[in-house]
Formats: sequence, C-alpha cells, structure tokens
Amino acid sequence: MSDQTVQVLITEEQNPEEGRGGGSIWGDAFRTLRRRPEVIIAALVALFFLVVALFPKLFTSQDPQHCDIADSGIPPQGFGGAHPFGTDITGCDMLAGVVYGARPSLLLAFIVVGLSVLIGVTLGTLAGFYLGWVDTIISRAVEVFLVIPLLLAALLLLSLFHGAETSGVLGSILQPALVLTLFGWMGYTRYVRANVLETKNLDYVVAARVLGASDLRIMVRHVLPNAIGTVTALVPTAIAGVIGTEAVLAFLGIGVRPPAVSWGILISNGSERFAAGSQYLLLFPLGCLVLTVLAFVILGDALRDALDPKLK
Amino acid sequence: MGRYVLRRVLQGILTLFLVIFLLHLLTTFAIQLNGNPALAFFGDRVPTQAQLSAVSARFGLDDPCYNQLGNPCFGPFVNRLKDYLSGDFGTNLRGREITSIVATAAPNSFRLFLVVTATWLVVGMFLGSTAARRRGKVVDHGIRGFSVMIDALPVFVMLLVYRYVITVPVYTWAKKQFGSDSFIALLFKPSFDSDHPMITVIIPGILLGLAGSAAFIRLVRAAQLENYNSDHVRAARSKGLSERHVRVFHIVRNSSIPVATAVGIVFTEALAGAVITEGVMNIYGMGGLLWNAVRDSDVSLIIGIVTLLAIVTIVVMILVDLLYAALDPRIRYE
Repeated sequence: MSDQTVQVLITEEQNPEEGRGGGSIWGDAFRTLRRRPEVIIAALVALFFLVVALFPKLFTSQDPQHCDIADSGIPPQGFGGAHPFGTDITGCDMLAGVVYGARPSLLLAFIVVGLSVLIGVTLGTLAGFYLGWVDTIISRAVEVFLVIPLLLAALLLLSLFHGAETSGVLGSILQPALVLTLFGWMGYTRYVRANVLETKNLDYVVAARVLGASDLRIMVRHVLPNAIGTVTALVPTAIAGVIGTEAVLAFLGIGVRPPAVSWGILISNGSERFAAGSQYLLLFPLGCLVLTVLAFVILGDALRDALDPKLK
Repeated sequence: MGRYVLRRVLQGILTLFLVIFLLHLLTTFAIQLNGNPALAFFGDRVPTQAQLSAVSARFGLDDPCYNQLGNPCFGPFVNRLKDYLSGDFGTNLRGREITSIVATAAPNSFRLFLVVTATWLVVGMFLGSTAARRRGKVVDHGIRGFSVMIDALPVFVMLLVYRYVITVPVYTWAKKQFGSDSFIALLFKPSFDSDHPMITVIIPGILLGLAGSAAFIRLVRAAQLENYNSDHVRAARSKGLSERHVRVFHIVRNSSIPVATAVGIVFTEALAGAVITEGVMNIYGMGGLLWNAVRDSDVSLIIGIVTLLAIVTIVVMILVDLLYAALDPRIRYE
C-alpha cells in the first residue's frame, strides 16, 4: 500500500461524513450553508413568500378584485379585524392585495430567470465547446445585447406594446417576461462559456472523448456539471433583480397591468396617494418586496461563497 | 498603441451599427405586432385616415413594410441611418427636435453622474480597502453585511422611501429653521429645482451611487486581497518599506487596474439607475425625459433617447478599454 492511499484511508476514518460526500461540490456547499443562521432565515422567508404566491387562499379569504367603495380608506386593524392591513381608496383589501400580488411578481421572476439560464447555458456551452464561427456569432451577440441596458430595452419595447390586450395572470406577465428574458441571458452565457473553455480540456473530458463519447454526451454529462456551479450562484440575485425591475415597470404602467395586482402596482398606487394617514398603502407592499429581495440576495451571496473553491 | 486604438474604435463602430440594427428590428417587429404608434399622437380621439397617414409620414412610419409581419424593413432602416449620420434623431410628439431637447437635459444628467462617480470612488475604495486590510475581522464582516444590505434595496425602493418618507418632514423642518433658499432646505428638496441644479441632485446622486457601490466594494476588496499575498508586496515589505508606503504604492495602485475596467460595466447599470432616479425625483435629465416619454407613450422620443444612450455607452466602453490598455501594457500585445 503506498503512502498516499494510506493517507486517504486515514482521512476517511477521521471524517466519515466528509468522506462520504467527497467530490460532490453540491454536498459541500449544502453543508456550509446549513451552518449559517442568516441563510436559514433567508431561506425560510423566501419559502414563506413562495407558499404565499402558490396558495394565496391560505392567507386571506378576501378577493383583491372585489372592492367595496363603502369600506374605502380603513386604516390597518391588526389581525382579527375584517381588514388586517386596512383598505385602499377604492375599498380594496390590502392584505388580499399583498397576498395575491406575490404571485405575478414571483412568477415573472422565476420565468425570466429560468428562461435566461436555459438560453445562457445552451449558447454558452455551444460557444465554449465548438469555438470557431459559432463562438464568434454568439460572443458578438452578447456584446451587442450588453450595450443596451435591460431597463432601457424594457421601456422601449413595452411602451410599444402599450395598448395590447391581455388576459389572465399569465397573459399579463407574458410581455414583460419576454422582454426581460430577451435582455437577461448574456451574463449566464459569458460565465458558462468561460467555464466550458476551462473544463473541456481537462483529462477526464479528453478520456471520455477517446472512449468515443458523442459531442452531446460530453457536453451534457461531463462538461456542464462542472461548468454550471458559478451560474447557480447568480440565480437568487437575478431573481431579486427581476422582482425590483417589475416594480419599476409597474410604476410606469408598462409592466404587469391592472386589473391584475402585483407588488409593483400596489407600490405605484400607494405612492400616488402617499399622505398623512395612508402611508401603510405604500409601506406594506414595499416591505414585502424588500423582505423578499433581501432573502434572495442573502441566499445568492452565501451560495456564491459556498460554491467558490478559491475561498476555501 | 496606435494600432490597438484603431482596432478598438473600428470594433466599437461595428457594435454600434449592430446595436442600432437590433433596436430597429425590435421596434419594427413590435410595431408590426401591435399597430401604429402614431395613434398615440391623437390620445383618446379617433383620427381620420388622412390625419393618421399625415402623422405617420412625419414620424417615418408610413412605409408599407410596417404592416407586414416578419418584414425586417431595410428601407426605413437605411433612411434612419442616414438621418442619424446627419445628426437628426427625429422629433417628439409635439414636433420638437430630440437633439435640442437632449441638449438642454444632458447637463443635469452629467451633474448626477459626477455625484454618482464620486460616491462610487469614495465609498467603494474606502470600504473596500478597509475590508481588505482587516480581512476576517469584525469590520470586514460589517462592511460585507453593508454591501449585501445595499444590494437588497433596489435604487427604486431607496428613492421612493427617501422621497416619500424622509424628504417631506426634513424639508419642512429645514424650511422653517433656515428659510426656503438655504443650502440645507435645498439639499432635501423632494424634487429637482432648475434654479439650483447642482444642490438638488446631490442626495439622489449619492443614493444612486450607493446602490452601485456594493459591487465596487467587493471588487476592490478582492483585487487588494490578491495583492496583499503577492510576491512584489512581500519583496517591498522585506526591503523594510513602511506598511503605509506598501499599501499606498504597491497594493492600492496595482489593484486599481481591474477597478478601472469595472467602471465601464457598472456604467450601463448606472444608466438604467439614472432613468429611475431622474424619473422618481423629477430631475430634468436624459433619464427623466425617457421616464416621462414612457408615461406619455411618446414612442419617437423613446427610440431617439435609447439610441443616444446606447451610443454614449459604447463610447464609454471604448474609453475604458483604452484606459485599461494605457494602464496595463500586457493588454496591448494580446
């Protein structure tokens, strides 16, 4: 038995748990994250708002669209009253608004980030793996799209779609989702391309190629799992970013549109009538937005640390 | 260096051409899908066919290709390029030249950017260096927490809270205490004042700068940490140079190269942030114009400003690249 194998055996005996998870970067990352209290709290907050978005009926029995003008401008009554968060100027229940507003905001964020990652990973892998003209076209496209800031592109395109008819939750977020995705994929492409370039010349990939694996198999089974780590760390931060952008677009009247409610729309309404006595109309949706964004940002920050091998 | 500059500038012109083409394609496609934006000119009134075609002609929307879905409209694109080359960026819905509108608005945007850049450098450099110097100590964790907090407060939220929650009581108090034309009162004025353009953009600028500084803090910290452990710093220390000298001349100076390039990347983000800042705070700058154009659905003004801002971004990116090449000779010979 050589010295090295003995050494490995000894470490394995000393740290049985780490030995088992060895090699898996995800296992390591998960174990690092589990030990940090702020990560657990952030995860719980994010989870809470996800549950709110998925099952709004659990949290309120009111319908946000059903507004009784007779009840307008009731200040927050606390839990136990008919309107715990009060009502707005047209008598819509605030709690119902905040609860039902979570769904478009979060759904938009998940759709945009999901599609962007999918596009970014596909293009980045192709560019890094094949190089040549594929890479030239993709890199040039990335450069061109990067010059136009996301928000400016969204303002331009969404105001052109201003009068379009929409219906349902999905319909009302379709336009912002498409536009934000169109200008959101470049960052992932860049990261994945750089990682693929690094990974594809490693010995085990060369070995797979020598064994006769197809390009597709090498990309999906061997290169991608190693190249995708840093991208994952960008996801929570990107979700937080889209939630913030949605608020800006709704504020300008070109994002998710009434009668659908979203946090952005509530914030926009609340700030229009911001005066003594009705601050809660702005502060409740704003508070929800800040809490959610904060939770995702903390998760992203911790994930970036946990997945970055240089910091270990 | 000369060849590098030439190559970079030519590349920039190609990118600019592609960007304008992309914007053209996207707007064309949107118009084909959604109908004539010239309708916005009439507001709620229903125009006659003659009125509509007259207005369409004025905004260059009368080409039949705008009614054919999927047609890339090369004809109008060539015309538009010719107009851009002769400095004509079109007119807004009221018929005013976009270039003349932008000329009056640009100085205010420039003032805002001065404040933003100063905030980045001061906050980013100061906090980033402090964090790097005290790596792993309480101060480092505190600064890190601060940058996460900044990330978690979008500029938009920060400005809304500032404008609606903070300025009103502070402004009323300062007005009563010092008079409405005093420095403090103007500093906290809830909206822009064209008589005092510089003072009223200071706080919005600082807030926007703070929002961008989180990335800066992390970058400066990482760049300096790399230098703290490098050979040239160890050599400088072993020569017996004072720690202060090593820090200023060997660490801060060397780590400013990657920081300089980041300015270019953060710039595009700040541009978007400026639109929000100027919009929420009513600052009469290019972003504020765009914000109001979106509210009035003044499409030709939006297209003009977005194109102009894209041009500015490309110029800034080229400048940053050239600066990088001037600072770091390795880049020129790649």
